[in-house]
Amino acid sequence: MDFPENLPSPDIGRLEQIVSHFFPKALHIVLDSRIPSLQSRGRTRDRSSGGLNVKKSDKWFNLIMGDRPAALDKLHSWHRNILDSMIIDIILIHPTDDDDDHGNVRSAETVIERWVVQYENPLIMSPQTSDPSTRYQKVYKKAIILLRSLYAQTRLLPAYRVSRQLSSSLASSRYEMVYKVSSFSDVFSPPVTETMKEFRFSPVEVPPGRLCASVTYRSDLSDFNLGAHITLPPRIITDYVGSPATDPMRFFPSPGQSFEATSFHFQGRAGRPPLTTSSASERPHSWTSGFHRPPTPNQSFSPDFHWSRTDGGDSHHQLSPPFSPSGSPSTPRGSYSPRINVRPGTAPVTIPSSATFNRYVSSNFSEPSRNPLPPFSPKSTRRSPSSQDSLPGIALYKSSRSGESPSGLINHYPGHKLTKDSKYDSGRFSGLLSSSGSPRFGFSRSPSRLSSDLEDPDCSCPFDFDDVDESVLQYSQSLDRRKTSSSISQSLPIGRKSQDAAVGVLVQMLKTAPPLRQDSSTYMASSMSGVQREGSSVSGAESEFSMARSTSDALEELRNYKQLKDLLLSKSKSVGGATRVH
Amino acid sequence: MNCEVCHLKELEVESFEIREVLRCILHTIIFHRALGLIRPKDIDLELFDITYVQCGEIEVEKKIDETIEHFISWIEKHPNKKSQISLSFYEVKSKQPSWFNNKQRSYWEQWYVNLNVLHQTKSPSHHSKLVMDTGEASEERNSRRTMLEQSLQEVLFQIIKFVNEKKDHVPPINDGVIYCPFEITMPSSSDSTFGRDIWKRMLHSGGHPSMLS
Repeated sequence: MDFPENLPSPDIGRLEQIVSHFFPKALHIVLDSRIPSLQSRGRTRDRSSGGLNVKKSDKWFNLIMGDRPAALDKLHSWHRNILDSMIIDIILIHPTDDDDDHGNVRSAETVIERWVVQYENPLIMSPQTSDPSTRYQKVYKKAIILLRSLYAQTRLLPAYRVSRQLSSSLASSRYEMVYKVSSFSDVFSPPVTETMKEFRFSPVEVPPGRLCASVTYRSDLSDFNLGAHITLPPRIITDYVGSPATDPMRFFPSPGQSFEATSFHFQGRAGRPPLTTSSASERPHSWTSGFHRPPTPNQSFSPDFHWSRTDGGDSHHQLSPPFSPSGSPSTPRGSYSPRINVRPGTAPVTIPSSATFNRYVSSNFSEPSRNPLPPFSPKSTRRSPSSQDSLPGIALYKSSRSGESPSGLINHYPGHKLTKDSKYDSGRFSGLLSSSGSPRFGFSRSPSRLSSDLEDPDCSCPFDFDDVDESVLQYSQSLDRRKTSSSISQSLPIGRKSQDAAVGVLVQMLKTAPPLRQDSSTYMASSMSGVQREGSSVSGAESEFSMARSTSDALEELRNYKQLKDLLLSKSKSVGGATRVH
Repeated sequence: MNCEVCHLKELEVESFEIREVLRCILHTIIFHRALGLIRPKDIDLELFDITYVQCGEIEVEKKIDETIEHFISWIEKHPNKKSQISLSFYEVKSKQPSWFNNKQRSYWEQWYVNLNVLHQTKSPSHHSKLVMDTGEASEERNSRRTMLEQSLQEVLFQIIKFVNEKKDHVPPINDGVIYCPFEITMPSSSDSTFGRDIWKRMLHSGGHPSMLS
């Protein structure tokens, strides 16, 4: 390369230096922004020191890049002839859809960028009219501007974002960005597709030739599905709900809703590849670990097992998603696997028609404050109000849990539940409150009163009501028919899978039953009140008759409860103390 | 010396986006005109998927931020739809340094940043349509945001292209001078030149104010 002879020798040297230093600087700028392993150290030094601690070689073109990695020096060492072009290929290694014979995923290389820097030496030298003394300064100034724009351009092109994503520790190992530096585009290089755009930097006249730079790049990198394989760096979740550890009784929205909520934050930045559902659902929640304990009666409503995605096979999930009443044990998303026992169409529970039981119900209703179990229920059982087949235990259970009295069943509490349901999208609480929002009880003696809708789908039974249906019905029917205590133990659902549910029913009965020692007095009072409420005219003779009858019934009930209690105690031992008997 | 003028593409921005958009554009321009020894600084925008470059000079950053704050307050007082910010580079030819001596300035480059500030209407919607409006509004906002990001990228490409094509008018670099003196003005939308609400910020380089031609 022959520089013009009319130039002073220092200028020749300087111009040549400009050209010779331009190549490594451009190489440094490009690879620094694309290949993380070649990023410069010392780039973020104390800026207040300015250029005091900057190497002389780094001051070229007034652009401090930091220490140049040794690899870059080696790369540039081959570029001895400034007339040789320098072609920098940025190649993305990505998986393909094709699999090889062994089932391994193949990778492909695609050139996503090609930077070309060259010093064009014209065949005919143009006459130089400018002052030679200032020519070097102007050339240098223009070369600085060229490199400034080249630097800014590297940040604007799509490969920059990809490079940063891949350099994050969360990136998939199947993607990699590599580079290739050559002096000519040989046949072995991946071809540059037609879809690539080109940007040519304005050349800088460096007599006798000119410095040229250009970049060919892919403007759209969405074909590589990088968004599905790259987890974005962690960001602050502004809609964090809170873990069950801090608020176990707090309900969580359905999985679909929550995943949409989290992915929303990432889609907020336009241009970023949107998170797919799978990637969004793969994002772990902070509370997914460690909450696999079986639900106790008082913890059956903790939402932990809603979200335990890892334990798909656990059987202690008792809540149901809103739209899967089939009770399948697994969910399509794999987010959780509840045991679904929800029948949105089931009827509310009705109380058995026995008078004694009526009194119990009424007595229980007189104590609305007794609410040993959590107020809300994830269950969504609905029972028809018209059925006379009562579920005494369930009815009592519901009533006690809801803390409601017959007259006050349509009270604030259902509203409270409604609020909760609507707030938390309690799809799993698919047995949503009816408009009345209160459990229904079927009193055989006063159906008019029973029609006060006491539907309580949010039955606070810790056990599966649905499984208890038949068993408890059997129990209630036996009560009605026999009215003896001896058959109660036989009628109990022993040996069925709803054994726990039956135990729960009995537990509730015992909880809500008045104390045994006070039976006589309370029974008399309640029976009297019950009789009065039943609306039957009470004469003196009738009262005596009813009193005598009440006493026998009371004694019978007493015997029943004793047996139940014994049974319960025996069962509790077998269950392992899961139930509590008061 | 000719004064090169570049009118950048108009951008539709919301009031909360002004800061980031202006910061991006002004810093990108100055980065190409801060020809002294600098250590570039990459800045990621928060609202957009764009990374721009600053020259790294704290004074420049500070002045630009102050200018933007003034502009935002000016926008609030003058809620015109379209606004224009002018970034001008000049040289001081007078031998004696002066702070407010327009006559001695020789502008060699002017950039016009055109913004169309959208003022959000705060009309409440009916409850029955609240959900639908929210969904539609967010969708519209997202699409507008995407378009703005693309437009902003186009503006940055426009800057790079202009900077590449026009180099001869740039004054030579003096020793010790990091960036060329510049000023930012906010003419009113009705005026093509400097209006009543003009205010000027002068910036001098760290070295000698006079520049050799």
